[in-house]
Amino acid sequence: MTSGPYNYSYIFKYIIIGDMGVGKSCLLHQFTDKKFMADCPHTIGVEFGTRIIEVAGQKIKLQIWDTAGQERFRAVTRSYYRGAAGALMVYDITRRSTYNHLSSWLTDTRNLTNPSTVIFLIGNKSDLDAQRDVTYEEAKQFADENGLMFVEASAKTGQNVEEAFLETAKKIYQSIQDGRLDLNAAESGVQHKPASPGRPLAAPPSSRDNCAC
Amino acid sequence: MEDVLDEIVSSEDLQKFERVFHEQLHQGNVSHKAQFEYAWCLVRSKYPTDIRKGILLLKELFNSHPEGKRDYLFYLAIGNARIKEYNKALHYVKSFLEIEPANQQVLALERQINKRMEKEGLIGMAVAGGAVLALGGLVGLGIALASKK
Repeated sequence: MTSGPYNYSYIFKYIIIGDMGVGKSCLLHQFTDKKFMADCPHTIGVEFGTRIIEVAGQKIKLQIWDTAGQERFRAVTRSYYRGAAGALMVYDITRRSTYNHLSSWLTDTRNLTNPSTVIFLIGNKSDLDAQRDVTYEEAKQFADENGLMFVEASAKTGQNVEEAFLETAKKIYQSIQDGRLDLNAAESGVQHKPASPGRPLAAPPSSRDNCAC
Repeated sequence: MEDVLDEIVSSEDLQKFERVFHEQLHQGNVSHKAQFEYAWCLVRSKYPTDIRKGILLLKELFNSHPEGKRDYLFYLAIGNARIKEYNKALHYVKSFLEIEPANQQVLALERQINKRMEKEGLIGMAVAGGAVLALGGLVGLGIALASKK
C-alpha cells in the first residue's frame, strides 16, 4: 500500500570528497534544496541527500553521500567510496593546500572505486575570485592529465553546481548505454528499477486484486 | 534507502574495526579513535545487540573525551533511533541542538526520527482493532499521498 510504482528508473550513488572546509555540504544543499547555508558547521561522519533528476528522458534518483573532511573520520568514510558511480572531488580555489591534496584524494578514489566511476573535479568558491589562490588553467590541466571532468563552481551563488551533478549523471548514463558500466556488477553504484515493481513480472495478467483503481 | 537511519554497515567493515579495537583492548590501551570507529560501525549494524554495544562505547567516550562530544551525541542519537528508543534519541538530538541550534545535519535527523515515530504510531493504532486499522490505513494513505507532492 505504501509504495506505488517507483517514479524513477535508475538510482546512481555519488560521493562528495575533499579537504575540510572546501564547501562539500554547501554544494550538496545548494543542489538538493537550492539554498546556501552560511556558516555551515563541520559535517559529522557522513551526510546523506537525494534528488531526482532527468537524463535523456529517464528519471534518475541520485543518492549522495557527503563525507566529512576532518581527518578523524577518514578511516570509516573510506568505506563509502565503494560502489559509487560518481565521485565529486572538491577543492577551494582560495586555499592552495586544498588543491595540493587532490592527488591523494584521487589516489584513494581510484583505489576504492571501480574503473567506470565518473570523477568530477569541482573548484568551489568561484565567487571569491579576488582571493583566488589556484588558477583555472592549472586546475584544468590537472583535470585533463587525469581524465577528470572539471568546473569551477560556487555553492554560494549556485553557479555551475547544477551542471556538475548533472554532467556526472549524463556521463554515467552514457557509460550504461555504451555497455562500459555493467549494471549487474555488485559495485557499479547503479541500480535499475523496473517500471512498476509493485506487480511481479511473472504474475498472470488476470490477477487484479491489488489494482490501485 | 531513504535516510541515514536505513544505512547498514558492511560486515567486512564491522570486522575490520572490531579487530583493531580488540587488539588495542588486549594491549590495555584503547585509543579514542579506535573506540569511536568501532562504535560508529556498531550503531549501523543490523543487529540490535551490536547497536546496544555501540551505544555503551559511545557513552564511555562521551564521558572521557570532551573534544569529540558532538560526534558522540550524534551517533548516540542514531543508535538509539535504530533500536526504536526514540525518546532517548530525541534527548541526544536536543542536547546537540542546545549547542548548535541551526545544525542542518542534526535537524534533518530530528525530522527523520519524528517521521518514524509518527509512522510507527499509526501501525500501533492499526493493530488495536479493525475499525482503527481501516482508519489508520486511510490516514496513512493520505499522508503518503500528501508527502509525495
